Amino acid sequence: MNALLQVENLSKQFGGLRAVDSVDLELHEGEILGVIGPNGAGKTTLFSVIAGSMPATSGRVLLNGRRITGLPANRVVRAGVCRTHQIVRPFSNLTVFENVYVGALYGPAPARRAGMSPRQDTADILEFAGLRERSEDLPGSLTLAGRKRLELARALATRPRVLLLDEVAAGLNPVESQRLTDLVRRVRGERGVSIIMIEHVMQAVMSLSDRVAVLDYGRKIAEGTPDSVSRDERVIAAYLGQAAAEKRADEPEAVTGA
Amino acid sequence: MAPGMRVVGRLWPAWLSPAALALFAGAFVVIWALPLIVPLTTYQHNLLSLVFMFVAAALAWNWLGGYVGQVSFGHAAMFGVGGFVAARLILTFGLPFFAAWLGGGLVAGAFALAWGHPTLRLRGPYFSIATIGVGEATRLVLTYWEGFTGGSSGVSLPIEAGLKYTLYWYGLYLMAIVVAASYAIRRSRLGLGLLAIKADVEAAADVGVAPTFYQDLILFMSGVVMGVAGGFYASYFSFIEPADMLGFDRSISFVLMAVIGGIGTVAGPVLGAVVFVVIQQLLLASYSQLYLGLYGALLIVVILFEPLGLSGLFIRLRRLVRRL
Repeated sequence: MNALLQVENLSKQFGGLRAVDSVDLELHEGEILGVIGPNGAGKTTLFSVIAGSMPATSGRVLLNGRRITGLPANRVVRAGVCRTHQIVRPFSNLTVFENVYVGALYGPAPARRAGMSPRQDTADILEFAGLRERSEDLPGSLTLAGRKRLELARALATRPRVLLLDEVAAGLNPVESQRLTDLVRRVRGERGVSIIMIEHVMQAVMSLSDRVAVLDYGRKIAEGTPDSVSRDERVIAAYLGQAAAEKRADEPEAVTGA
Repeated sequence: MAPGMRVVGRLWPAWLSPAALALFAGAFVVIWALPLIVPLTTYQHNLLSLVFMFVAAALAWNWLGGYVGQVSFGHAAMFGVGGFVAARLILTFGLPFFAAWLGGGLVAGAFALAWGHPTLRLRGPYFSIATIGVGEATRLVLTYWEGFTGGSSGVSLPIEAGLKYTLYWYGLYLMAIVVAASYAIRRSRLGLGLLAIKADVEAAADVGVAPTFYQDLILFMSGVVMGVAGGFYASYFSFIEPADMLGFDRSISFVLMAVIGGIGTVAGPVLGAVVFVVIQQLLLASYSQLYLGLYGALLIVVILFEPLGLSGLFIRLRRLVRRL
């Protein structure tokens, strides 16, 4: 089966720093792919390049076999790939409803927009994201968890085929984090959106992802099922240092649950 | 169901409210018939025509400055270009004045696009500084381009008997179109996109709003209205010269009208333009330069105490009255 989204040999260079270094990724229809890695591993930069927020230095990204690298962000959204931001960026001058409505009005490609009502779509998505009661409020009055939901809802309104979620659970307490994780699961299950998610909350990423890719210093160092990745020597070394990896090889129980 | 989610019939666009339409139509009829019912002096009649034109210009400035948040200190450039192009079209080609205004408007819009397309990548104060440069450069070029603008001695238009009297209604039509357009833009898909760009350009692009295209579009529209207003001004005074059309205080006046009235709103620039022109007329005769000082003071007061200007004041008053 062909991949829905294919990242081929993608690199992003900032001066002397190779923030993303020859990364290959594949995302299949209906799949959730987790992307983990230590701080500064290049995860967010990878998203920015895929989403067209910044140009790639080399390599390419294909959606359904069609090249989307080199397109500006707004055209990438039209093609069907939408990102969220780790630090939420709601339009603070617009109500919750209007925030999502912008996505519904501008996001979907003209062909896919035919026969649907952006207003109805927005109402449905707000209901889905649990924000219906807050429709007329300004984003500033929401809690962080609420604003994370809004960020997700606004991206969903663009009718993406692939959603790039940048740390939806970060900064939330365990209960809120669990609720958002459930919401992401429903995005895939009920709305049929394929997802790549960056996540630091390991419980979230390990329970949600079908596969996990690990980045370190811009390179992909491992990929596989959550289980196999969490046992991978290189991954443990990247997170906890070489010494811990060696220690773990001696006594496997010492470093679990990452 | 929350108000924003009401499903509206297909006959009207979702943003059009019957109340607003009725208010608009009522105000239009009253203002249209005003000179026929109330015996206005010639001075009052002409002053109103000028107010209509400035209302249109202030609203057009607000499309860019208020809706997108790109504050331009160079809008006199389009006002001047539109004015001189219109004057030339009347003098050289003998076009009727309203066709000449439109021609001036289109050239001004194209001119706005020419400098705006590269400049609109800048945001906030950087864009504002660039517009000061654009305004001053345009003024200098037009001052020295004597074949086109007559240099500092300016251009005179043939005086048509009765024209100034009829300008009242042309001014009203111009104002009505721009008020309606301001309302439509504010409530429509375009307006929402512009507000999203104002809040966060990158986040807007990330949900599909094309920032460059929509900023270019609104600047073009703003430039067209500025140019038409400049053409109106030329017909109104039958004489224009670069220093008056394109001076920095001309650019500042558009900013002041919008800010005093309430930036980003529709009613704001309307109120602001009325207040501005009236104060100017009252002070100009006796203290010709004092009025700019007064506006400066007014500006400081507005920014410190009521960022939404006169409209913000009205909203506060209304709340106060309701509480009583």
